[in-house]
Amino acid sequence: MVIEIADVIISGLINGSVYALMAVGLTLIYGVSKAFNFAYGSFYSLGGYIAFLLFGLSFINNYFLVFLLAAPILLVFGFFVEKVLVAPLRKRDDWEIKVMMITLGLALFLDNSFQVIFGSRMKSLPPFLEGGFEGGNFYLSHQDVGIFFLSIGGILLFRWFLNNTRTGMSVRAVAQNPAGAQIVGIPKEFVFAATFAISTVMVGMGGILLAQKYFITPMGGWDILVKAWVITAFGGMGSIRGGLYAAFIVGMLEAFVGWYFGMTWTLIVLFAVLLTTLAVRPQGLLGKWG
Amino acid sequence: MIKLTDVNACYQDFHVLKNVSLAVEKGQIVVMLGPNGHGKSTVLKAICGLVKKVSGLIRFEGENITGLGSEKLVDMGITYIAENRELFPQMSVLENLKLGAYSRSARAFEKKNLEKVFDLFPRLRDRQSQLASTMSGGEARMLAIARGLMSNARFLAIDEPSLGLQPNLRDEVAKIIKQINGQGITLLVVEQNIPQITELADTLYVLEEGRISFEGSKEDALGNDHLKEIFLGM
Repeated sequence: MVIEIADVIISGLINGSVYALMAVGLTLIYGVSKAFNFAYGSFYSLGGYIAFLLFGLSFINNYFLVFLLAAPILLVFGFFVEKVLVAPLRKRDDWEIKVMMITLGLALFLDNSFQVIFGSRMKSLPPFLEGGFEGGNFYLSHQDVGIFFLSIGGILLFRWFLNNTRTGMSVRAVAQNPAGAQIVGIPKEFVFAATFAISTVMVGMGGILLAQKYFITPMGGWDILVKAWVITAFGGMGSIRGGLYAAFIVGMLEAFVGWYFGMTWTLIVLFAVLLTTLAVRPQGLLGKWG
Repeated sequence: MIKLTDVNACYQDFHVLKNVSLAVEKGQIVVMLGPNGHGKSTVLKAICGLVKKVSGLIRFEGENITGLGSEKLVDMGITYIAENRELFPQMSVLENLKLGAYSRSARAFEKKNLEKVFDLFPRLRDRQSQLASTMSGGEARMLAIARGLMSNARFLAIDEPSLGLQPNLRDEVAKIIKQINGQGITLLVVEQNIPQITELADTLYVLEEGRISFEGSKEDALGNDHLKEIFLGM
């Protein structure tokens, strides 16, 4: 029993850490550009498929190289998508809705492309690390530990970027006061595209990390989109810290509900918690009004 | 230094500026007066690339800058200081100042300008790590001006520095504006609640219903009955 609960807590922590990485990306786009990216889940699958393709290349045999190559590919892809699909809409009056529609269209396009290119069967990635820690009935795989620390590392790196680099500071500036950012001469259009690109890297990396445990499927991103959305709304739209707390709460909740009631109950419980939270605090855990 | 010729500006369908022409010479302090809501801020914003629909001709040191965005203009040395300050609330004083030096041309002078700004506003030096949102109105106003100075601007457009300021700080604002000008920075100031600033003006403009209704020196203005009414109406 104790060991079982320990397992559940560990599983919640690990999933929570990857969710945190991905939810921070989603809340970042919302915080900076007030746009909601419906293709976010498909970018998760894209990360997995890019890793799958990279592992197919003969000279790639470890995750270090995969991360090293996948990150710039995702970054360029995200930047390009923002510039070509999202940026032109921003000049219109009701652009928020149009951005939702076009990213939804992009999600369907990507998912169907995955299906055509890779087929509908699951793809798997080799484990990131072999072996594990053992002690009696207790087992903790090195892979899980690695995933946890990489996700946390990614979030810390992102935090460092926001606080210590010029581009990071300009991202925060646009999120906090777009008019002020324009006054000091920050190129808003570039910041929007950069934000979109960074969040694409974050969710794509999450896709690579989780694909080792849950496989890659063409439609697998929707589950992630829903969870990232739940976490973002639960934590407070646009609040990065709220998103972090919410990600771990959702990870834990999912693990405990899955263990106690069965996996089919997890989404139902998540939405019940979300709706209850929003009924009491419509702005989410740490969000602000307006 | 700055020359506007027949400038028109619109917000959506609202025609705010109608054939505005004015000139600010290098090293001058030019003050613009006029009733609220008649377009004074829009003149400043149009110069600084913060209004989308602008037509006519705006020149900076002879170069046509009409329609350029604020990114380019800040880099060239033209900076706007907003009446409602437009600070970054969840950032420290120091971060706000550093972002003031965001433009390419200001980066090299960041350290030097930071020292200059701290000499001008010793209060800010003591409060570097304080969040902008927790500052009093007066301190926030100082920070907004300081952030503008960080851009290494040669021309500053300062919009109603007295807004939200306690009356006893008005003297200080006037002094600071004089000091800034003394450093060789050309100023266009919208302000009518601080007579001390009007006193500093080399030239006065009055803007009414989007048109320039008066241009001249302080002495000319005092001889004008209509303007006296505006002054006395303060």
